[in-house]
Amino acid sequence: MSEVRALIVDDSSVMRKIIERALRQAGLNSLIAFEAGSGNEGLDFLRAGRVDLILSDINMPAMDGLEFVRELRVQDLAPSVPVVMITTESSEEHVKQAIHAGAQGYIRKPFTSEQVKERVIPLIHME
Amino acid sequence: MSGRKNGGMVLSLRDSMHLVSKPENLDESVKEVFKLMLGVNCRRAVVEGLMLTDHELEFVTGVVGFGGILTGACVVRCGASAAIELAKHMTGADFERVDDTVKDGIGEICNMVAGAWKGKVPDLAANCGLSIPAVITGRDYNLHVQAPEFQLQHRYCFGDSSFEVTIVCDGLK
Repeated sequence: MSEVRALIVDDSSVMRKIIERALRQAGLNSLIAFEAGSGNEGLDFLRAGRVDLILSDINMPAMDGLEFVRELRVQDLAPSVPVVMITTESSEEHVKQAIHAGAQGYIRKPFTSEQVKERVIPLIHME
Repeated sequence: MSGRKNGGMVLSLRDSMHLVSKPENLDESVKEVFKLMLGVNCRRAVVEGLMLTDHELEFVTGVVGFGGILTGACVVRCGASAAIELAKHMTGADFERVDDTVKDGIGEICNMVAGAWKGKVPDLAANCGLSIPAVITGRDYNLHVQAPEFQLQHRYCFGDSSFEVTIVCDGLK
């Protein structure tokens, strides 16, 4: 697979590293990962940078992941770039909210690299 | 009775109390988080009395609050050496002291355990929210909750280290 530029939005630096590692284990060897510690940081990054994939936590202080996705869609910052929510919230209602906000995928923490492979890689291939 | 409305019926989490307070749900949640996210097999240790050893100079405690149909908290507590070991497993990096990354790691473990635990009960998963993790460091402190509805407090071991996980519920609809 050619170079994939991914933005990982999570208020936990440890979780950002774990997600990056899981993406590489899922087969994205040519991954270029960018990190944002909040929804606002993520929006700032997307105003200036291009990515092929966005992964975002939901529970974050200040601007949560759902608001982040809504904003990036409203502001048309990353049109057609797939967004996958990675979160501890696992109910059907949370999944619906994420999809309604503009996400294409949903992964519950804790996760396996196989789950990341199944739910993220096909979205990148779609582009 | 208060509770959420579902299809015209008012349901109460008390109907699922046997599931909510089931000790095995906590064990499965902890083992799942440690196996999948840290690559660590941990086991429950059944002990009496005080759980953590006194030789530790510092303890690290992660706290995630529950809100909604159940209120309370999930607490993960361990000594500094265990916290450093856990952060090493999570990041692949070495740490000499409890720095911000180590504290972040304990907060995230607590967050995932809380999420996995409430996910075991459908009514809880859908109607109980989680707070952002808070982390406390220091020594000689205890968590006190007045008149809890129920409390689970388990100790787990991995390698030569141990940690304890507490689920305390002070309100149940």
